Parts: sequence; structure tokens; C-alpha cells
Amino acid sequence: MRVSYPYKDLLPGIDALAGVMGYKSGTAPEPVTDLIAELSEELLTNGEARAEYTIFNHVRLDKVSRTLGVEGVVFNVKPIVFSQLKHAEGAALFICTAGQEVGMRSRRSMREGDLLRGYVYDVLGSEIAEGAADKMQEALRAAAATTGMSITNRFSPGYCGWDVAEQHKLFSFFPDNYCGITLTDSALMNPVKSVSGIIGVGRNVKYEPYRCRQCDDKNCIYRGRKT
Amino acid sequence: MDLSTGTFYLFLTLVWYPGKQILLLQIVVMTDLLERISTCVEFGKVDIKSPYPPAMKGQEGAFELTRHALDKGVSPGDILEEALIPAMSRVGQKFSRNEIFVPQMLMAAKAMSSSMTHIKPYYLSGETKRRGTFIIGTVRGDLHDIGKNLVSMMIEGAGWEIVDLGVDVSTEKFIEAIEQHPGAVIGLSALLTTTMENMRKSAADLRKKFPDLKILVGGAPVTEEFCRKIGADFYSPDPQGAVEYLKTLS
Ligand code: B12
Repeated sequence: MRVSYPYKDLLPGIDALAGVMGYKSGTAPEPVTDLIAELSEELLTNGEARAEYTIFNHVRLDKVSRTLGVEGVVFNVKPIVFSQLKHAEGAALFICTAGQEVGMRSRRSMREGDLLRGYVYDVLGSEIAEGAADKMQEALRAAAATTGMSITNRFSPGYCGWDVAEQHKLFSFFPDNYCGITLTDSALMNPVKSVSGIIGVGRNVKYEPYRCRQCDDKNCIYRGRKT
Repeated sequence: MDLSTGTFYLFLTLVWYPGKQILLLQIVVMTDLLERISTCVEFGKVDIKSPYPPAMKGQEGAFELTRHALDKGVSPGDILEEALIPAMSRVGQKFSRNEIFVPQMLMAAKAMSSSMTHIKPYYLSGETKRRGTFIIGTVRGDLHDIGKNLVSMMIEGAGWEIVDLGVDVSTEKFIEAIEQHPGAVIGLSALLTTTMENMRKSAADLRKKFPDLKILVGGAPVTEEFCRKIGADFYSPDPQGAVEYLKTLS
């Protein structure tokens, strides 16, 4: 399933974006909020994020090795992710990307010496990628609901103890340059503003917040997130 | 800081020490200028046109004040040591304490670099010396650059020359740069656990070739323990830690 979302549907408001940079509501200095406003406005008319997911109706869950098999490919998802996927009947494998444009603008600004502008583009790019993943997840939830199925939260290689190198297994399901994304040997997606992962589907799966208390990654963006 | 304080102090001094007016006037004007430059850099006041911070609107910024200081005979070395470096150090400390965030650090850097446009020629002529050379790059296979750029900028603000090799840097490229800049310190950045493996390889090869080289490492997944394991010299989760470490070397 292929979906695309104009940037304008993905960017949260100025206060929320300043929040991503660390500022409590209303405390960001004016040049920062002004720049967020200017660049968000500029990007609104300038691009589209893309997301794709493929649903596999059957997955094999092995409780002993805590692995998940999709068409013979075994994902070593590790305990935290496994515990959330263990009741899944099927799974959606997905990738989302903000595309090249926003990253290019960021790098160009940095090269020209305007680090603040480069940084704001960078943060906007991350939010666009995450926003696209949120929308894609919502589309999947709605699609699953029509057949009486529920979905789990989304999980990405590199988070919750799942090795980032497993992106190679994930990408083995997608044709080359799928969604305009390529994967390097070191499991880095290009464009950088991209997210990949898996979502469990089934009658008995539950959508639960991330189990951050079981994870020792204090820096994670999903830490403490409500949804 | 109240910028009028310096002027007020000048007035009092003249009243109390009438016989030494000229000398004192010179010193006070200098300290006042240096303090003002420092404040401008700390709060990101680039030049007279910058509307931020609002309390300094319409006043001269780091760019103009540095020019005045040099014209009045303040040495570029003093501007660096007494105004710019302390300002960036305060910025780095506030960032480490989460009192300010990346954007304000970058605003300070911009003010600093406007001041540096007047000082750079003295570096080129050799009249002012840097504290050392810092070579930095994101390791092979990794394309992340924001973190590396922040670190470069803060270390430059601490008085070091920066050689930024960019992203996806091979060990050979690091070696080449070290050969071109003997005595330089090196910083490796990696953002993925997979590219940390390349960091390990680069660190090992560099250590073999340059036993005395100081190697700093950083990036979100990097830890103190990993740093020790790969035989690097120092790990810091943020730029200020690196700046403090470099102070102990120069
Ligand atoms: C924003 C973000 C994203 C955004 C944008 C990504 C981007 N690179 O632009 C999005 C949502 C797109 C994303 C995607 C992914 N991400 Co991500 N992401 C982050 C996050 C939250 C912040 C990164 C950031 O921009 N930080 C801001 C900059 C300024 O910080 P920094 O680069 O770390 O640099 C600072 C310090 O580290 C230090 N430093 C850096 N270098 C050096 C060098 C020296 C010498 C020194 C002294 C200090 C130093 O100083 C800097 C300033 O303070 C981090 C987690 C985190 N809190 O760091 C995860 C993180 C980088 N992501 C991670 C992962 C796994 C991914 C994905 C692979 C997930 C997936 N499967 O989809 C993808 C990969 C994308 C790709 N292209 O392949 C992991 C990587 C670790 C790992 N497991 O390998 C992290 C660490 C999260 C985690 N699990 O802990 N991500």
C-alpha cells in the first residue's frame, strides 16, 4: 500500500516544533520561533512525504528464541518488541520518508554557514518523517479495523533493543529504491529523514505505549511518549 | 547584564582618581568593550541590525564592537581569550545544564563568527595563535552531521582551528589529515550502532599509526565504556565536555 502526504499535513505547530528542540511552551527565543514559522511555511508548499507498507497475513512467532518469521525471513526482534508482537497473526512492514528535499536544504544552509537555519530544517525533516509514519500507521489501523483486526504500535530496527542491522532483512522485502529509499551497508537509509519498521496485526493484539521502563535508552525520542 | 554599568564605572573612576585619568580610562574602556563583546556573543547579538535580544535592539553587536576594540588597540588575542572564549564556554555550560538548547548555541556561534571575521586575518599573519588543531569527521558509512557540526563549532569557539572532514570519512582520510597537521587532536562521530563498528576500526588503525594521538569520540549511541574498549582517549555526550578536555591539553 502506497501513500503520500503533503508536508503541510505533517508539520505540527510552532510551539510543538520548538518543543522538539527542547523548549517548554512559550519559552523559545523569537529568532527561533520566527525561523520555524518561516521554514515551515516554505516547506508547506514544497514537498511530499511518502510511506509504503506491505501486509503479510501470516507471521511465525517463536516464544523460545523470541523471533518473528515473515515468509522465511527471521527477525531477531529481542524481548521488548517480541512481547508486544507475540499475539500478532500478521504484520505490516513499512518505510516512510520525508524525501531528499528537506535534508538538502539543511545541508545547503549548513554549508553556507547558517547553522541555525540548517538545524531548523533538520528538525522539520525529522518531524515530517515521523509525521508520515504516524499517518501511515493510522491508515493501517483503519484498514485493519474493516476486517476486525487491531494493530500494535510501530517498532523500528535500532530501537527497543532490536539491532539496526536487521534493516537489511526488512529491506529484502522491498524492491530496490522502494519509495526512493536506499539502504547502505551500514544500515543507514538514504534519504536520512526516513523511518522503517514493523507493526503487528491481529485480532488479539493491543496498541500499547512503548515500554520505556524496560529500556535503558534515556535519549530515545519515543521515551515517555503517550501514544 | 546591564550594559550601562561599564560606563557608570568609568565615570566614578574619573572622579576618584583625577591624576590617573588617562590610563584608567583606557583600561576601563577596554574591559567594558570586552565585556560587551562577550555578552553579545553569549546572547547571539550579531550586529547592529540584529533585533535580538530585544533588550539590545538598535545597539552595536559583536561585529561592530570587535572592530572598535581592535581600533582602540586591544589585541586580537585578548579579544579571544577574554571575550569570545569565555562567552562560548558559558554557552556550552548552559547547554550541558539544559538551560539553553541547540538553537541558542547556534545563535551564539553566529555572533562569534561575526567577531571572528575581524580576527581571522591575525591568525593568517601569525600574530595570533590558535590553541591547537582539531580534526573531526563522521566515520565511514555514517552520514549524520548535525552533532559533528555542533561539536566543531564549540571547539572553534574555544580557540582551536577546525579541520572538518565531513561525513562518511575513511580511516585513510583521517590519517592523511593528521599527517598534514602534526600534533592535531582528532574527533570521531557516529550515530548508529553499525557505524560504531567502523569507529572502532578507525580508532584502532589511528592508534597503531600514531601512538600518541588523542582521540575523542561521541554521538548518540556511543558510551564511556565503548570509548575505553576501543582505546580512544575521551568520550563526551556533549560538546562542552570535549572543550573542557581539550583545555587540559593546550
Ligand atoms: C531525530 C532522530 C531521528 C530522525 C532524524 C534522523 C536523522 N539522523 O536526521 C528520524 C525520525 C528520521 C530518525 C530515523 C532513524 N533513527 Co533516529 N534518532 C533521532 C534522535 C532522536 C536525535 C538525533 C539528533 O538529531 N540529535 C541531535 C544532534 C545534535 O545530536 P547528536 O548527533 O547526537 O550529537 C550530539 C552528541 O551526540 C555529541 N556528539 C556527536 N558527535 C560527536 C563527536 C565527538 C568527538 C564528541 C565529543 C561529541 C559528539 O554532541 C552533539 C551535540 O550535543 C536520536 C536519539 C538521540 N536522542 O540522539 C535517534 C537515533 C539516532 N536514531 C536511531 C535509529 C535506530 C534510527 C533508525 C535506524 C530507525 C529506523 N529503523 O527507522 C532511523 C534511521 C534513519 C536512517 N536514515 O537510516 C538510533 C541509532 C542508534 C542505533 N540503534 O543504531 C538513535 C540513537 C535512537 C536510539 N535508538 O537510541 N531518527
